[in-house]
Order: sequence, then structure tokens, then C-alpha cells
Amino acid sequence: MSDGNPDVMDTLAGLADGSALAALRRQRPDVVKHCQGSDDAIFAPAHHGGLTRPEREAAAMRVANLLRDTALEEHYHRRMVALGEMHPLNGARGECILAHVDCVTMSPADATKADIDALLAASLTPHAVVSLSQLVAYVNFQSRVLAGLRMLKGNT
Amino acid sequence: MSKPMRDFIRGELDWQPWLAPLDLDAATEEQRAALKITPSNRAVGAYSLVLAHDPEALEQRSPLYNAIMFGAKGLPRAERELGVVVTSRINGCAYCASVHAKRFTELTKAPDVMQRIQADGVHAALEPRQKAILDYASKLTRDPAAIGPADAAPLRAQGLSDLEILDLTHAVAMFAWANRLMQTLGEATTPAREGNPL
Repeated sequence: MSDGNPDVMDTLAGLADGSALAALRRQRPDVVKHCQGSDDAIFAPAHHGGLTRPEREAAAMRVANLLRDTALEEHYHRRMVALGEMHPLNGARGECILAHVDCVTMSPADATKADIDALLAASLTPHAVVSLSQLVAYVNFQSRVLAGLRMLKGNT
Repeated sequence: MSKPMRDFIRGELDWQPWLAPLDLDAATEEQRAALKITPSNRAVGAYSLVLAHDPEALEQRSPLYNAIMFGAKGLPRAERELGVVVTSRINGCAYCASVHAKRFTELTKAPDVMQRIQADGVHAALEPRQKAILDYASKLTRDPAAIGPADAAPLRAQGLSDLEILDLTHAVAMFAWANRLMQTLGEATTPAREGNPL
């Protein structure tokens, strides 16, 4: 588990160690700690529960793409390439996962029980379904925190 | 707002999962540990038991939520609640909107603010500081890529410090997360109680 300084959020927002904004973030030490902890738990869990590491990076890349967050999309693309898999979300299972990523990101109010049933039918375990949901929701969170940090960075 | 949202002020909502909640009798030590810290929430039972299928994510998310919503100093709690109600209203999450509208009104004793947001959404007529919070929460919720340096100006003009702006950003972002879990792992339901206006 990485608790390094700078952490993933600093790096993605382009905050140098010791900068005013990096220091501002650290006025909320528990937020910093558990943001990084969530990133670690979501992308490098001790037990992946049926949703593989490459599938996780590819799903996150799709969320960043839908949100037009280019820097975040490149971050997940780099991590996916580093794992040696270019297209982990393929076939019926991959298509089902991507459809769910799109729904949860762009139109969560339109989700239905049939969407969860489709994931289970595509051989995702309950653990993998929850991991996928947490992942998509987390990247939506992450992109908005980054947008706020970039705003403050450009205006300080 | 892809479909009309039910009244989120009057009455109370329950939440029904679409995925079988964890059977506590069959829970691992790790799952039990992750369930100890839970965001305060009326649906905490079923919701947390669904999230406990992935204990590693839950164990981080619960303290993150608490740090963002209850952390000392910085943005007043009522204004964090205002931000998350706006986010939940836009995302169409009636459950989150109802819980946090109630919290806002308990903290401020100003029920008209939530009534206006219920009626007019992002066009609600509010006093200037609340309006600046609503506008930022709305833009960050709908299209984070559209946020630029100029969007800090209206917040600063209303006296928000950088820490307060960071707190608001965290709260809105946390509900980009929370709404999506609530809306896609289950659904808000109306309890069958006599006299419930929903």
C-alpha cells in the first residue's frame, strides 16, 4: 500500500511536493489517506474477487474517456499497458462490463436490476459486481476532485 | 435529470438492494472488520452488507466519507449538505437527496431552501453564497471537464477560502460516488406506511 508523498492525486493534478495546494490537501489528512487507500484497494486489492487487474484499469480508462478527462485516461492507459494487456474487456463479458461502466457513469438514474442480473449472467461474482461498481463510482469521484484541484491550481 | 424525480422532502425512503446482501453468518473476518465503520445512514444495513462483498474497498470508503462530511473546521457542515443535495438532485438520487435535505434543514432551520431546490432544481433562487455553492456543485456534477480556473471566482467573491472550496469539491465528488452506488446496486423505495405522502 503506497502512502507516498506525492500520492496519486497530487501526481495527476500536477502538484509538486511542498506546493501550496499539496499543503492545502494535507489540512485534510484523513481524506488524503483514504483517497490513496481507496485507489490501492480498488486497483491493487489483495483479493481481486473475480474482476482482474487489467479489467479494472480498462474500465477506469473508459470512465475517464466518457468524462473527457484526458490526463486521467492516459494514466489508466499507461497502467493497463504496463500490465501487458491491450484489450482486456472483450467478448460478451467485456461488452457487458463496458455497458455497465457507461450506464453507471452517464445515466445512473436509468440503471435497473436487469443490469446487475446481466453482470451475474456474464459470470461476474457478487464480489466482482461490487468491485466494478466501486471502481466506476471512484473514478467519477476522482475526476471531480482533480477538476477542483486544477481549478485552484490555475487560480492561486 | 433523465427522469422525473420523486418528492425528496416529505416522507422517508427506504433502499432495496438488487444484489443479495452478504450473509453475516458467512462473513469473513475481513468483511466483519470492514463493516465496523459505517457512514451514518438509515439504509446502513442492506447497503453496507452489499458493499461488504468487496471488504477492501469498503474499509477505505467509510472513513473517507466521514472525513469529507464531518471533518472539523473548513466549510460549514450545512454547506457541505447543500452541495451534496444539489449533486443528488441532478443525478436523480432521491434517497441521498432526501437524507441530506433533512440534515441541511436540521442544521439551518431554513426549510425554504430545500423546498426551492426541490421545486426549481439548479434554478432555485437562493441567497448569493448558497447560489455560488449551487452553481459550482451543479457544474462539477454535470461536466467536470468544463471546470476551469474562472469557476473559483464566484466562490471566492462570496468569501469561501481555498480550504472551504476544497471541502465543497470533496463533498460533491463524494456524492458522484455515493449516488452511483445507491442508484445502481439497488433502488429507493417508499415504505408502506399509512399517511406517508410519497
